[in-house]
Amino acid sequence: MSGLFPGFLILSAAMFATGAAGVLVRRNPIVVFMCIELMLNSANLALVTYARYTHTMAGQVFALIVIAVAASEVVVGLALITGVYRSGRRLDLDELSEMSE
Amino acid sequence: MSVIFGLAAVIAFVGALGVVLSERTIYSAMSLVLNMVALAVLFLLLDAQFIAAVQIIVYAGAVMVLFVFIIALLSPGAEERLRSVELRLLLGGVGAVAFTLLIGRLTLNGITVGANGRLHGALGPFSPVAVNAHGQVQTLGDQLFTTYLLPFEVTSLLLLVAAVGAVYLSRRRRQLA
Repeated sequence: MSGLFPGFLILSAAMFATGAAGVLVRRNPIVVFMCIELMLNSANLALVTYARYTHTMAGQVFALIVIAVAASEVVVGLALITGVYRSGRRLDLDELSEMSE
Repeated sequence: MSVIFGLAAVIAFVGALGVVLSERTIYSAMSLVLNMVALAVLFLLLDAQFIAAVQIIVYAGAVMVLFVFIIALLSPGAEERLRSVELRLLLGGVGAVAFTLLIGRLTLNGITVGANGRLHGALGPFSPVAVNAHGQVQTLGDQLFTTYLLPFEVTSLLLLVAAVGAVYLSRRRRQLA
């Protein structure tokens, strides 16, 4: 089991990097939100990994809080996306560089 | 144990790649579900049963249903044309690989795991044996409502603000003038 500790962290880093690359590369705001979820998930994995291997509970408690933060972020973000869609503009982040009408 | 870890890790990473590389939004969402289920398996491997259950219920359940609902509502077929995608993907991929190597290198440098499976340094009181003796959910709940009560309450405030904000953002605009 001890040999898996770097494996968990490297997987977490790889997932975070993939999500960050997605945020930079993709232009569909829904996909960008999913990439942000990916990054939050990888952070959760690192937190729980450290909690397990340092025999502490803080990582798991913080992972729960991160999940709540991610859920509220999704709610607000998707509400923003529907607002943009209803204002009649295309869902393309390159064309949405200005928030003002 | 390591076989399960390998399978779940590969599935999680393939899911993560699918989120970024899929052309259709709904495929990205399905890849994200795959990723989250694999992550729940990894949480089980890490003796975090409650986190695994919450991961399935909140993420793969509620959040992804919201995503799929919005995708179905907004963008059927209105998929982006990936212009100059090769350059973007190349830059993003190079950056991602460099970041992973950096983190991995720092991780392996800074932390050593002893032969008894423990990290070097002081260990907390919550060893898996002790936690399982008291009950995993019980231990987490004890901590959440005593030591971490303030973050918990602030989180509830955050959820309230998010709900109010979502209602405000998605209300029908009043016609001005």
